[in-house]
Amino acid sequence: MLAGGGLRGDEVFGEIPGRNTVVVADKVAINAVLAGCRPDYFPVVVAAVKALCHPDFAYHGPASSTGGSAIVLVVNGPIRHRVGLNAGNNLFGQGTRANATIGRAVRLTMMNVMQTRPGFFDRATLGNPGKYSFCFAENEEESPWPPLHVERGCRPEESAVTVYASNSLYQVYNQLAATPEPLLRCFADALSNLGLPNVKGFNQALLVFAGEHSEVLAKSGWSRREVAAFLIEHARRPLADFKRATRLPGEPTASDETTVRALFERPEDVLIVSAGGRAGSWSACLPGWGNKWTKAVTAVIEEGSA
Amino acid sequence: MLDAILLEQHGVPAVAIVTDVFRATGETMAMSWGLAGYPFLDTPHPIANLRDKDLDARADRLVEPVVALLTR
Repeated sequence: MLAGGGLRGDEVFGEIPGRNTVVVADKVAINAVLAGCRPDYFPVVVAAVKALCHPDFAYHGPASSTGGSAIVLVVNGPIRHRVGLNAGNNLFGQGTRANATIGRAVRLTMMNVMQTRPGFFDRATLGNPGKYSFCFAENEEESPWPPLHVERGCRPEESAVTVYASNSLYQVYNQLAATPEPLLRCFADALSNLGLPNVKGFNQALLVFAGEHSEVLAKSGWSRREVAAFLIEHARRPLADFKRATRLPGEPTASDETTVRALFERPEDVLIVSAGGRAGSWSACLPGWGNKWTKAVTAVIEEGSA
Repeated sequence: MLDAILLEQHGVPAVAIVTDVFRATGETMAMSWGLAGYPFLDTPHPIANLRDKDLDARADRLVEPVVALLTR
């Protein structure tokens, strides 16, 4: 497994400072073997683990929280095809070894190397099935937009993985929309429900547009930024809504009925990916872990001597 | 918990208080810093939805043990 990544066993990938924990290559390799990875998958696992150790990800919060986040791994670049990662039908489901085992290797590394065990440093109230494994590739070839990793500063010929903490996944349905506005209203509504964790600060969201919806957006010519700007404009609610639901303290005042609170602030905080099957009017909304202190991190996948 | 451990490493007396359901997590944090058995306090869970007077009552009950730990 180490040879698959062109690595020595004693190489340090990073640390989790709040836990006094250093992450070393041989321990990650052991967990990749346990997960059932092929050696050529290992560079993806390594890049994901390094991203988890990046200060911007702020590991302890999303990994420990009662919110029970899955660590979502979005893979871009040529390695997708070399290792056979699924970017199409049944995107989040079973059936593809690379998707299943890369995500599993990362979770096992979290448990066994980064001390993230349920009931101790993993305080998930419910967790979610994505905590077993959550890895997929972007369908760059049929996407309306440049690949996610290019949007986030990598070169197209590089491979990269973006790690992102999300405590849920819901599918968003719309079969009739032929233009972006009605389609995206469904997403804006999904992103602004009263049970969302992030009503007190701006965090991130990940949207995965599958074939039919991607095609609607492609035909419109809307850029990623235009899609994000529309969602930010419409993912907002009056303060009074939040107060009536005790998501914010205090009784609603007359001005609270007309004062709106946006759930997202910057277009780059709405991560947009094209992936999933061509058939079906489904896409997905993955709200970020409920705190603005963690950010998605994109790490280049170094294939070493593999 | 981590804040208390780090403050004490810098010579500042500190006391961590967790709600009771987080005792195992507090103990895990202490162990990860080589401090198994590190003393800390707890209060019944939850606290976020308490009225002010109930929260004050919880704080009142913690004053004495907090002082005891700070001056140990």
